Amino acid sequence: MILQWNHLPRKSSAASAQDIVASLQSLLEEGCLEQEQFASLCVHLDWIQYKHNFREAVIVVPCAEEKAGGPPFFEVHVDLRQAGPGALRTAMMQALEAANSEIGHPPHPTPKLDCLALEDFQPFRTSIAWRFNRLYWQRLAEWEESTGRGYEEALPGGKSDANHPGAVADGVADFWTLVRDLEAKQKLPAELYVLEIGVGMGKRAGLWLDRFQKLDQERGTNYYPRVRFLLGDYSPATLERSKAAVRGHMEQCSFVVLDALNPLQTLSFLRHKVQHIHLTNVYDNLPDEEMARRDGRLYLVEVRAYLPTGEAERIAKEFELSARELPRCIERLLEVGPEHFADRARGMGFWQQVWAAMRLEERLVCADDIRPEELPEGLELNRLEAMLSEAPSDVRFHVNSGALESFRNTLPLLSTRGYLQVQDIFVTRWNEYQLGFHGPGKLDGSIVNWVNGALLRETAERAGYDVHFAPFRYREGSHTSMLYTTQRE
Amino acid sequence: MTLPMIPTSVVGSYSMPGWLERLKTEYFARRISRHDLDEIHDNAVKAAIKDQETAGVDVITDGELRRDNMMDYFLERLPGVQIDRSSKKFYYDFYNCSVQGKLPMAPLGVADDFRFLRSFTEHEAKFCVTGPHALTKRIHNEFYPSEEALAMDLARVLNLELKELVKAGARVIQIDEPYYSGFPDDLTWGVKVLNALVEGVDAKIAVHICYGNRYGKPSWEGSYRYLFPRILEAKVHQLTLEFARRGGEDLDLFREFQPPFELGVGVIDVKTQAVETPDMVAERIRKALEFVPAERVVAMPDCGCFHLPRHIAFAKLCAMVEGARIVRKELGR
Repeated sequence: MILQWNHLPRKSSAASAQDIVASLQSLLEEGCLEQEQFASLCVHLDWIQYKHNFREAVIVVPCAEEKAGGPPFFEVHVDLRQAGPGALRTAMMQALEAANSEIGHPPHPTPKLDCLALEDFQPFRTSIAWRFNRLYWQRLAEWEESTGRGYEEALPGGKSDANHPGAVADGVADFWTLVRDLEAKQKLPAELYVLEIGVGMGKRAGLWLDRFQKLDQERGTNYYPRVRFLLGDYSPATLERSKAAVRGHMEQCSFVVLDALNPLQTLSFLRHKVQHIHLTNVYDNLPDEEMARRDGRLYLVEVRAYLPTGEAERIAKEFELSARELPRCIERLLEVGPEHFADRARGMGFWQQVWAAMRLEERLVCADDIRPEELPEGLELNRLEAMLSEAPSDVRFHVNSGALESFRNTLPLLSTRGYLQVQDIFVTRWNEYQLGFHGPGKLDGSIVNWVNGALLRETAERAGYDVHFAPFRYREGSHTSMLYTTQRE
Repeated sequence: MTLPMIPTSVVGSYSMPGWLERLKTEYFARRISRHDLDEIHDNAVKAAIKDQETAGVDVITDGELRRDNMMDYFLERLPGVQIDRSSKKFYYDFYNCSVQGKLPMAPLGVADDFRFLRSFTEHEAKFCVTGPHALTKRIHNEFYPSEEALAMDLARVLNLELKELVKAGARVIQIDEPYYSGFPDDLTWGVKVLNALVEGVDAKIAVHICYGNRYGKPSWEGSYRYLFPRILEAKVHQLTLEFARRGGEDLDLFREFQPPFELGVGVIDVKTQAVETPDMVAERIRKALEFVPAERVVAMPDCGCFHLPRHIAFAKLCAMVEGARIVRKELGR
């Protein structure tokens, strides 16, 4: 058995860790685990979950493909921060039994996971969870009204790092330096295009323009009139809300409805013309999935959303439904919104309770069996394997398909000296996966997940950019960092 | 070989297939042998030749599929250029290299690649050589007193190779100097170096100057005005310039300065996968004809098709050929 104990939590967890070893040993002695199965177990104590997330404290992930001649192998993931001492043994036994049952492995035929499945196993990027996420952004105002707090308040720091005045000022100074350099080289274009994708309330755009205007005046450079600031968002309502924050700069601003996954589609007329593009906390909210390499083979992590039976029964009772009616009711919620209920407030309540209760179970599927079209667009298996030459031998990692797609469809907008800045929660090096794995979390009604910066770096290199990461140094304790591009020779 | 009026040609590179990229990188990882890679290159070049012929291009190249990029193909053959072989991770990366002493005269052996091309096509064949100015920008100069001096010595070595190409049957040779656009002030000595390069070379000499195509994106922006009038001193027969992506505004320079050269006019934008229609190509050629007589116009892509998927590159070449046919028909030729 391999015990992967890489993550070192801040609080003491020795008791929990000892409990895990003892529990596994006793499960073996009681015959709940076969000797061979025990020997091939891989137990990961490296999970770092958001406070609100999709996983139980202990989950067992079976591999859908049996190793030659032997029993199926399992991975056990334990979140020591959530797992209560004393409860581990039971949780582990139940998870193992469910996993055994899932892949039809005797000798302990027990019912499958005690749950109401909401979908079939599939890559996370196509999971129903992302439909909930989409509904949240479509109905943000209603959610905020219902919960009584704005979405920024749900962020770990209670506000977005995007709007930190120091960070904005430094960003503006960098841009001003670029423009001055262009002027020195007699390459100053008549119009300086700046694009922000995902504008929130428009606060950052407003701060940026205020600061740039002030700096331009202080230095007497007269660049400000050339600035064409494009605020891009897929929500017309969000763009409308952002106008108030930039009302002093309306001459400079355009408001563009665009899909963060493919800005080029909307802005193809600006191909190679934009000097600066900025995104904050956009990539962490785009569909993604996870993969793992075990014993030299690649596996896709497939997920299935479910409601624990107890929760399903409770919600059904509260909303006067039978548990069997729940999937259909959820489907209608995702199609038409909370108006599916005659009383919209009840509809909001149903939505929030289902979302809070929703969990994900997992299984590993050998990537050898994956058709190329099942992989994220632009990612080829052999290229991924080449990238992984720099990764630890056994590694689970994010494949941020949405971020990759967005990244690939944003870079062609950059001018010859243009640069992209992305502020987000990044895993910047493959080796960081040895120090813990951050699973997806729930941020109010949306999904948040860490972004595999190492994968973006490789993608950028093929597109002619070097990617660098700088920690966000303006707020102590911030987990965000800044990705920025430079031209690659 | 008789060419039609407004012949079509390519700038050099053809679509680099993903499988070939992987195999080239495999070679650098020492997982396949040089012998195997050479055989793979031979087959890829034959396919590129066939595609260009099938599209109906009049003057073709070998697609430059043997080249990792426009620099290293020459730099690693140049005696006296020190190559840091560890500096390349992906085949397309540039080597880090330096010059620490005077460059010796020695053949580079690229004429063999031209012979291969020649032996597999009946079409007019062109060979492209990266110019000394561009090569100088990739070499860390630790010996020569100036970039100009290094470039001049590179021209001396490459001149020998150009003559070898002529001996091998090359009648059209294109010199690629895209870095002129990034370093316009260098043109004062760049043209002198160019003339030294082509001195005594008995072939039609074209010089290709674009705004960069590294990773399929432009490296610089600006106007071709910087070329004039200095470029008029160049002892070349054809200027090959980028107009499809940038628009035809700079064509006016040909009216203003009346250069004696043929114009290889870029009518295909290689930085987008959107395939031009023949009518769009015809319109771009007609625009060029407002400034240059038809007898001196060659229709070409803006630059190499290296970064385009193969089916897109092929479709673009077909559109280019058809567009030229439309204009010829209008001219009654």
